[in-house]
Amino acid sequence: MIEFKNVNKWFGKLHVLNDINLDIDAGEVLVICGPSGSGKSTLIRCINRLETIQEGEIVVDGVPVHDKKTNLTKLRADIGFVFQQFHLYPHMTVLQNVMLAPVNVKKMSTAAAEKISREKLTQVGLTDKAGAHPAQLSGGQQQRVAIARGLAMSPKIMLFDEPTSALDPEMIGEVLDVMVNLVSEGMTMCVVTHEMGFARKVADRVLFMDFGKIIETGKPTDFFDNPRTDRAADFISKILTH
Amino acid sequence: MLADFNFRIIFEYLPLFLTGLRSTFLISIVSIILALVTGTIACAGRISSIKLLKYPAIAYIEIIRSTPLLVQIYFLYFGLPTLGIRVPEIQTGIIALMLNSGAYIAEIIRAGITSVDDGQIEAGVSSGLNYFQRMRFIILPQALGVTVPPLLGQSIVLVKDSALLSLISVMELTRCGQTMTSERFMPTEAFLTVAFFYMCIYFCLKSLADWSQKKLIFREAY
Ligand SMILES: Nc1ncnc2c1ncn2[C@@H]1O[C@H](COP(=O)(O)OP(=O)(O)O)[C@@H](O)[C@H]1O
Ligand SMILES: [Mg+2]
Repeated sequence: MIEFKNVNKWFGKLHVLNDINLDIDAGEVLVICGPSGSGKSTLIRCINRLETIQEGEIVVDGVPVHDKKTNLTKLRADIGFVFQQFHLYPHMTVLQNVMLAPVNVKKMSTAAAEKISREKLTQVGLTDKAGAHPAQLSGGQQQRVAIARGLAMSPKIMLFDEPTSALDPEMIGEVLDVMVNLVSEGMTMCVVTHEMGFARKVADRVLFMDFGKIIETGKPTDFFDNPRTDRAADFISKILTH
Repeated sequence: MLADFNFRIIFEYLPLFLTGLRSTFLISIVSIILALVTGTIACAGRISSIKLLKYPAIAYIEIIRSTPLLVQIYFLYFGLPTLGIRVPEIQTGIIALMLNSGAYIAEIIRAGITSVDDGQIEAGVSSGLNYFQRMRFIILPQALGVTVPPLLGQSIVLVKDSALLSLISVMELTRCGQTMTSERFMPTEAFLTVAFFYMCIYFCLKSLADWSQKKLIFREAY
């Protein structure tokens, strides 16, 4: 479903993605972790071309992402992206936030877009917040709206960049629950997160990055209980004592 | 002092002042509208990534903001005829005010646009919205809120700046004061009257600004 072939990227002199090779199957749940600044965000932002790459190839569902002729609108419409800081549109209601792309990108009728948007809001447990504005919601609720906004486009892939890192501890659970529920629907997901509980429970694979390189990948139990590299072991002990 | 104040002469000159007021009002309205257009275009150039649009826009904005309005007015007043372009003073004045305010308005609009969080724009990009859709649905509705009050502020500045057109003999409010002064030598009466009319325009625009601010703040708080 998502394929990285010898991908290299630099920010100026900084080699932010260093020879990345990666295959993610349809329906797979990949958790990406690693120290801050190791290139995790950059990696998943390349998948829908929020970032460009200088070398290599990324193919998503048969589409070469970095080809000049690629229809970016179509590509992005098929990939949901959830940000650490939610990034809801504050001047719109929750429902308008969720409906915006289905109406304008997918050209759905407002009635059809409203129907699917309300369904997705129900799925994230916010049926009754459709008319609220983002500022009236808690962080956890806002992040769930952001997830619904992604889902309303019926994407093939959902990308999450530290979706719970900006949340108060008591709200992390409600967001993770929604994500676990998505896994059970068979969604292909790449999740940058340090939530070990989530990774152990639903991840098919954990990928550990440092200095722009994939240092280690493996099943969550193998990775967390028996890391093969010192760097991964060091990192795991840090997030455990955290 | 007030005993010496000659109200009769003010009434005598009232028709003149009213034509001056009308002319100041019309010059300001036309200039503001043209400045909005100029400012929007200049801002679009300024934030464009195309160098051929960006650098001329920066040059225009910086030249205007670094030189006095009076110099700009004289430059057009004396400069245009040497280029063989002959336009009446009033048009020269409107062009000067338009170019001057346009540069400030470009920066006001730019501030409004850049005040919208980058993350929201990225959210728009990642859901497949194109540039114009992002402008229309995400950026402009929010930019407008922070842009309207300073735009009205700039309008107030423009109205007062239009007094400088008296120096190229445009028959606006201030010029009427000068006329009365030279005919009757009563500068106190003349310029107090002139000041009074400027204050009237100011308070109209200011209440509009206050009203819009209240409206916008109200909307932000829902
Ligand atoms: N737009 C950018 N321009 C320059 N450097 C960047 C940019 N975005 C990220 N970086 C740098 O790239 C490195 C990796 O960033 P990122 O992918 O955000 O790391 P992570 O998500 O793992 O914390 C960091 O050192 C960061 O400072
Ligand atoms: Mg990051």
